[in-house]
Amino acid sequence: MASPASTVKLHNRSVAPEPEPTPVAYQAWLPYWAVLEADFLQVVSSWVYRSWILVAATMAIGLFIYRWGLHNEAKIIQPASHVITHLLRGILMGSVALVGVIAAGAIAGERGSLADSILSRGISRYQYYLGKWHGRLLAILLGHVLLGALTVGGTRVILHEDVTLEGGVVAIFISGAALAVVVSLGVMMSAMFSRPLAAAAGLWVLLYAAGLVFGAMPHSIPTPEWILQKLPFILKGEYTREMVVHVVLYAGGASIGSAIFGMALFARKDL
Amino acid sequence: MAENAADDPVVETVQLTKIYQNRHIALNDVTLKLERGCVLGLLGANGAGKTTLLRLIIGLHRPTAGVAKVFGEEMSPNSAELRRRIGYIPTNPRFPKGMTPISYLDYMAKLFGLPRDVRKPRMGMLLRAVDLLGAGGTQIDTFSNGMTARLAVATSLINDPDLLIWDEPTHGLDPEARRSMLDLIKGLSREKTLIVSSHNLNDIDEVCNHAAVLSHGQLIYSGPLHDLKSRMRRNHFEVDVDGDQKAVTRALATIKTLGDVQHVSLEHRRLNLRLQEDAVATATLGQVFQVLSEAKLTLIGIRSVGQQTEEAFLDLVEKEEQRGFTRIYRQAA
Repeated sequence: MASPASTVKLHNRSVAPEPEPTPVAYQAWLPYWAVLEADFLQVVSSWVYRSWILVAATMAIGLFIYRWGLHNEAKIIQPASHVITHLLRGILMGSVALVGVIAAGAIAGERGSLADSILSRGISRYQYYLGKWHGRLLAILLGHVLLGALTVGGTRVILHEDVTLEGGVVAIFISGAALAVVVSLGVMMSAMFSRPLAAAAGLWVLLYAAGLVFGAMPHSIPTPEWILQKLPFILKGEYTREMVVHVVLYAGGASIGSAIFGMALFARKDL
Repeated sequence: MAENAADDPVVETVQLTKIYQNRHIALNDVTLKLERGCVLGLLGANGAGKTTLLRLIIGLHRPTAGVAKVFGEEMSPNSAELRRRIGYIPTNPRFPKGMTPISYLDYMAKLFGLPRDVRKPRMGMLLRAVDLLGAGGTQIDTFSNGMTARLAVATSLINDPDLLIWDEPTHGLDPEARRSMLDLIKGLSREKTLIVSSHNLNDIDEVCNHAAVLSHGQLIYSGPLHDLKSRMRRNHFEVDVDGDQKAVTRALATIKTLGDVQHVSLEHRRLNLRLQEDAVATATLGQVFQVLSEAKLTLIGIRSVGQQTEEAFLDLVEKEEQRGFTRIYRQAA
């Protein structure tokens, strides 16, 4: 038997010298953009995403009609800030399940030969993770902004207006920051687990645990509940720049922290 | 991108070991070198560790111990630059839903960082080469196995790689598609280094000039294919004769008495003849023909058994297993 360390050599065939080819100027970040673009298109064309938009939009329209009916028939004044808070709370809390499923399927959904086909090319694990994370963030935040714009615009037109446009934009921005944390955690879970269902379950356990921890935290920390309590005031324009920065810093920190953790883990994981 | 030095092996593994979850040893201490221009056939039974070895070489898995080097540099999951020089086809390649060959190839070319002015002409050229130009706008989901395999080939060539790693490229193909694939491998072998894993030993026999044999995660042979064949059992022949049955039986009895004949048996009109390992086959066969002639039997044909890679491979695995048992027995003693 040959030694296991034997060298495979080419004995009987000469390799003809090839003409020097023109070197290709590789674009280092093109793989990242390719994954981001493909993932964004994949998400927005998925039935889960469309269901999320449809359910949230139907819920918003239904609530408008109900409140408008109250306003017209019972002559009850409906402050827009309360309706929007109600809706944004509904969109945030109600859609976390679907958003979680979308985020948790980012990487785990491609495990197997599909991931082989992508990660065996000239792309690093870091670029792949970033592309997936940003693709999901973009798709979900775009949906959130559309739904938020529908909500703020609808209430300003139909209901009693006590909302400032700037306050509406800030409210959408802040609630979007909270949603971004959920998406980032979902993608992190997706990198940790091999199956989307397990990743979604892991995300739910994590969110539940985070809810318990948030309940014991001091009021200075902008928890999701804290954000929802402040929303009516933010919508009326009663907020400070420091408060917004505070929320963005916490949400950004949590998102980036989870992404770094997820990336470090994914870079060492077998596919 | 740094080119490897001319004398650097294209692939080098040193004591490469992969253990899954501390339970299953998929690859055990594999040391192998592959030089430029080789066409290596990776052989082994199911679960022998072929795909694990390929996945370690491409950086989809991380080794538990040892190292895998490609073009002289250590491969890791983040070695994007090294993978720009590799074309890979996984077993049963899967494609994202809703994509056409054009959009898929464009996506794959982008994953290699190829600029637009390079990837667009290449896509057209490759689609034409694999005869998918007419189906360029058709959804991949509707493709047959043969078309899918051709698309996988085009994908593995989109970056104009120096090293091709094809895992079971003929798996599930009809004879015509299989023939095209083998011809393609032969063509590519003139300018590229190839590693082809296959269950079909005839395929390996036809297109490869080197072989590596894995058994239970261990590399039991690596080297030129003709060396592997030279290890097989020799002096084993099948002789087809025609004539009176009684004459055949008489000839059989006479052949059994010949000195260098280790074993002879009769099955219908076929003599299964095994000579001693060190026997001079021509001399002994001359005596056998003499006996057949005297018995007035007609020679229909003679065939040497075991001149195929399959025989050599099976022999090798069998011998290795026997050695394994011997080792266990000695340890126990």
